Amino acid sequence: MKRSWLFACLLCASATAQVRYEDILKSPDQDWLTYAGSYRGWRYTPLEEITTENVGSLVSKWVYRVPNSRTLQTSPLVYQGVMYATNSNSVYAIDGATGRLIWQYVDTKVERRTVNRGAAILGDRVYITTADNYLTALDRQTGALLFSKKFADIGKNTSSSAAPFIARDKVIVGSSGGDSGMRGFVAGLSAETGEEVWRTYTVPAEEGDPESETWGSMIGWGGGATWLSGTFDPELNLLYWTTGNPWPDFNPATRPGDNLYTCSLLALDLDTGEMKWHFQFTPHDTHDWDAQSWPVLVDIEWRGRMRKVVLHANRNGFFYMLDRATGEFLRATKLIDNVTWASGIDDSGRPVLIEGKDPTTEGNWVCPSVKGATNWMGPYNPGTGLLYVITLEQCGLYSKSLQDPVPMKNFPGGGATEEGGQVIVRAIDPKTGKRAWEYPMTGVGRMWSGTVSTAGGVVFAGDDDGHLVALDARTGKHL
Amino acid sequence: MKRRGSFEDRQRRFRQERAPSRNRKLVFRGLLGIVLALPLIAQHGRYLRESENSAIGDPQAIAAGAKLYANACAGCHGPDGSGGRGPNLVQRTLWHPLSDEAIFNVVRKGVPGADMPPTNLSDEETWNLVAYLHALIGPAAENPAPGDFEAGRKVFWSTEAGCSSCHSIRGEGGHTALDLTNVGDSRPLAVIRESVVDPSKDLFLLGQEAVVVKLKNGQVINGVARNRNNYSLQVVDTNGDLHLLYMLDVAELTISGSSPMPGDYAQRLSEQELQNLLAYLARQTLRPLQARASQEEK
Repeated sequence: MKRSWLFACLLCASATAQVRYEDILKSPDQDWLTYAGSYRGWRYTPLEEITTENVGSLVSKWVYRVPNSRTLQTSPLVYQGVMYATNSNSVYAIDGATGRLIWQYVDTKVERRTVNRGAAILGDRVYITTADNYLTALDRQTGALLFSKKFADIGKNTSSSAAPFIARDKVIVGSSGGDSGMRGFVAGLSAETGEEVWRTYTVPAEEGDPESETWGSMIGWGGGATWLSGTFDPELNLLYWTTGNPWPDFNPATRPGDNLYTCSLLALDLDTGEMKWHFQFTPHDTHDWDAQSWPVLVDIEWRGRMRKVVLHANRNGFFYMLDRATGEFLRATKLIDNVTWASGIDDSGRPVLIEGKDPTTEGNWVCPSVKGATNWMGPYNPGTGLLYVITLEQCGLYSKSLQDPVPMKNFPGGGATEEGGQVIVRAIDPKTGKRAWEYPMTGVGRMWSGTVSTAGGVVFAGDDDGHLVALDARTGKHL
Repeated sequence: MKRRGSFEDRQRRFRQERAPSRNRKLVFRGLLGIVLALPLIAQHGRYLRESENSAIGDPQAIAAGAKLYANACAGCHGPDGSGGRGPNLVQRTLWHPLSDEAIFNVVRKGVPGADMPPTNLSDEETWNLVAYLHALIGPAAENPAPGDFEAGRKVFWSTEAGCSSCHSIRGEGGHTALDLTNVGDSRPLAVIRESVVDPSKDLFLLGQEAVVVKLKNGQVINGVARNRNNYSLQVVDTNGDLHLLYMLDVAELTISGSSPMPGDYAQRLSEQELQNLLAYLARQTLRPLQARASQEEK
């Protein structure tokens, strides 16, 4: 059966197929054309062949070993039977049916390596960003370099790890490096040439800039990295991008105030990069709780009328729902059981702080741990109407260093431990914000994989032993 | 500053330099080296570890080494390293890559039980020879190539030579033949030269076999086999489209023994034009080397 599908593909391929913006809008079907599968960030496939009945008999067909897998955080794209996996400064085009390498692109002259989270595809091109901030466009059939254009200076401590994101005729890129002082941004580049069309910074550069009053003396190095791609609402023409922690992570002495726009969700106009609204989950963060987790876009009924909302499971331990047109805060519920830094979220969306939970020189025990209550994985399944989030019940000791912060020295202003911990897959009903079911994973709580759900009613996750785990999307039953 | 001690001195220094204070940097460089070298090993057996000897990459040392090579080594290994009575030194796809130090040892001690004799060259002479071999085997971009870069650019893009009607560089040019954007960083100069003057050699190794595939359903595909083995086949056809095939579905696979590239460039281009073309190709890398190129020309 798989082969007949492949043949169907062969025939369509001979029409010199190109990935169009409209295809990404419709994605995913048999293809997976953007990091989270769709612009809505669902990580959901409508393929139905794998069901709750037959998933138990899945066997591995092939394994392709990507070199240097320590930095492998890629979500491969799939187009017409070819899988595009990335690692730092490299792309591997793999025959999806056989696991054989078709071409590889490895930029050996890049002086830095980072993790890399994936590629983007449009027309006949596959795009990646290199660790030293070049947008690189390759011919998708051969891997030949078409252009490589610099969009940020690595000398300013900015690196790039997020998968580039295609919307219409633009490639949206982010910035990494927020744990050692940098100025985060999101940039819209021309997909045709790589030229910059707009750039929106996430933190101010100097005194007098907008929001600079929410910062102190280390202004300009505030962080707010944008190391995860975002989601997109084509009707509102808005990009949804999350931002990372303020710097120095654990010692906030130099940055009194809310530190806008760190630990936030930004809604940016695709054409201009203009910030239509922002919502800060963790004002004045002191626990390295980046807001990097999917802004999942769904339309649901809320208090009697349909609302376009964005769902967000945050590292700080709460699960949020906002109006995605206006940024209006609608609701927050507890994502995990053990949250000790805030007693809840008030009506304006601000956390109600519990005194004395900042890092101290001796170390302060706080839940959740520095890894956060969740990370960037959280898919939605329209069949069940549930969101599936990997959560972590873990606490840690947060300590503060009194050393003066020096930007670009990989100095987070302290440190944090991660002790014990239990990973739990939780299904959340967006209508109520409550849990539908939960499945505690086996192992020591160190895994931090993503999840994918299918129209066949299966949720996939990985466990500590490196196994693929399949759960029933309705009940959480282990399959 | 040139540092030239005895071989033992260097060995000692080599060990000292791997003392804890530098461990992190070295481990990082080692890892980086391995990662960077992997794709290159597949092509021509690049060194896993670069020597810090000052002869490596030094044009004078390389030139002195070239003389030694022509007199003492070329007889068995071929004037361009392509082998003869002795092994091919350039296309070493099946070889375990040797470090500069290991090559030094082989040159000095020979290969016992084989025809490779020990030598009594001085340390300096031996390093000159290693520097030449390094340049011969290493990516063309790492070494100064004789010839004029700008003149070579004109040759490449000229209609007379016609290179760019089939080959592309940074998205410009034709797409029916191998992309050359990174040719300088992925092939030794000798291999580039060979590919220009004798294009039908080593097609399998280069992923450049012209094939005609007849499928059991009657479809016929003309193109270049990127990969093939007993089970599957990936072909880029003449339209530039990629076909992923199972050999089970293939009725007939015809592999052309010769490249579609004209085989007469040795006659078509003058020796000077060829040198210039090679100088241009040698500097084609993913990250442009223009600055360095213009420096060298001055």
